[in-house]
Amino acid sequence: MKRSILTSRRDDATRSAMARRNLLALGGLAACLSGCIQVTAPDKPIEINLNINVKQEVLVKLQKDAEDLIQANPELFPQ
Amino acid sequence: MKTRTITFAAAGLVLALSVGVGGYALAQTGAVSAALAAGTVGEQADGYLGIRGSASAEVKAEVESINIKRRAAYTDLAAKRGVSVAAAAAATGCKTLSSRVGPGQAYRLLDGSWAVRNGSEPVQLPANCPA
Repeated sequence: MKRSILTSRRDDATRSAMARRNLLALGGLAACLSGCIQVTAPDKPIEINLNINVKQEVLVKLQKDAEDLIQANPELFPQ
Repeated sequence: MKTRTITFAAAGLVLALSVGVGGYALAQTGAVSAALAAGTVGEQADGYLGIRGSASAEVKAEVESINIKRRAAYTDLAAKRGVSVAAAAAATGCKTLSSRVGPGQAYRLLDGSWAVRNGSEPVQLPANCPA
């Protein structure tokens, strides 16, 4: 025998049942408002430090290459 | 006979162009050399040329052109050695400051301040440059 959902769960379709469900949804929303991760924009501008600090060991390693680069491109290093 | 004339004309044009371009490049580098001697252009610790105060449009353009070519050379070196372009540039900056700034010539430190090499005194190198 076929049973329609509407007729078998007639209780759910009443005004009071719907109001209850509305309340439940509102409660969920309220919980999210306090519990969800909040992202706020910083009030100060984000500063990126452009002072590049190259480690000395890297510069030591590149010493010879730098010398060769200058010698090989005299037009880029006028005196 | 006609083709020969055209060949001569083309050769002449190529010659004229190469002399013209060469002369132009020489004149430009000359302008930067003069500015370096005068202290209006100087080597920077970051590996590029900088303009100190004001300079002519010709000098500015040539400094910019040199810096673009330097960046390309630094990029090649950086890729070859697996370091950052800034590191390759800074390593070259250490070299240019230590060996290519003559007395009375200007140079720029990492903090952006300019200094003029005083007589036989050595250039103040950035702290991270190899001694």
